[in-house]
Amino acid sequence: MAGLAMRTFPLSPNGSAAEAVLPNAQLIVTDLTARSRFGIKGPGSSAWLEAQGLSLPPVNRIAIQGGVRLLRLGSEDFLAIDDIGAGGAAAKLIADWQAEKDPRGYWSWREEGWSWMRLSGQSAEAVMARLCALDLRPARFADDEIAQTRVAHLEAVLVRSVGGFDIFFDIASTAFFIRTVDAAAQLADGDTTTRENHR
Amino acid sequence: MKLLDCPMNGPRNIDEFQSFGPLRQGPDADAAADAEWARHLFRADNRKGVVVEWWRHVPSNFFFLAERDVVTNEIIRTYAPGSRP
Repeated sequence: MAGLAMRTFPLSPNGSAAEAVLPNAQLIVTDLTARSRFGIKGPGSSAWLEAQGLSLPPVNRIAIQGGVRLLRLGSEDFLAIDDIGAGGAAAKLIADWQAEKDPRGYWSWREEGWSWMRLSGQSAEAVMARLCALDLRPARFADDEIAQTRVAHLEAVLVRSVGGFDIFFDIASTAFFIRTVDAAAQLADGDTTTRENHR
Repeated sequence: MKLLDCPMNGPRNIDEFQSFGPLRQGPDADAAADAEWARHLFRADNRKGVVVEWWRHVPSNFFFLAERDVVTNEIIRTYAPGSRP
């Protein structure tokens, strides 16, 4: 596979969101799509992960161990990302899974199918309140929780992260996501523009 | 906002769900006549009262069952398949 430059990340020069400008003031949006992550799902996924020495969290919870943040999205549906400040653990899981003679579960291609955006900055909470119907205050949405819900009108996986939130969603909707987040950020910033002004 | 209580994700906006119609037994594939199959595929019972329906929480792709009164549209309970209360 080496040498086949097939990946097109959403903000790459020829990607669908090539012209999008990420908000970077009160709200900071960071594109983490290029970071490695490993999605595995289907029967045998949990057994394979346990065989790698990982202990599994309950559904919709995160377990952190050995540099991996393991997100359990369903009974047999997982996403492994590198823990904050660590690196290489997700890539190692991919390599180990590929090296198996008879791997169990199947690779769900989350690094190809999902965008990964981080919303941080001082108005991150206020913007998220406009983008998502859930109560995301720290007392109701803890660090180890996962919300599979709608964010910016898109189906998304939402977790807490450094100074804000990490959101995983369909990569083809990146341009729409950024426009929606940008509009919410302007409203959270005190813009009182209404639909009537655009008529 | 109308809420539906997903057995896996908790109470969520009804917008996050998709309905898959009532749970019902299919005809016996070996014995059923064409007319019986046609009825099963194309006709709905549409009775008054409480029905058990398949629903899906779209963001997590979780399928579950809900008991709903089709007259009052009240959802009586929801549960994961195989865990009937």
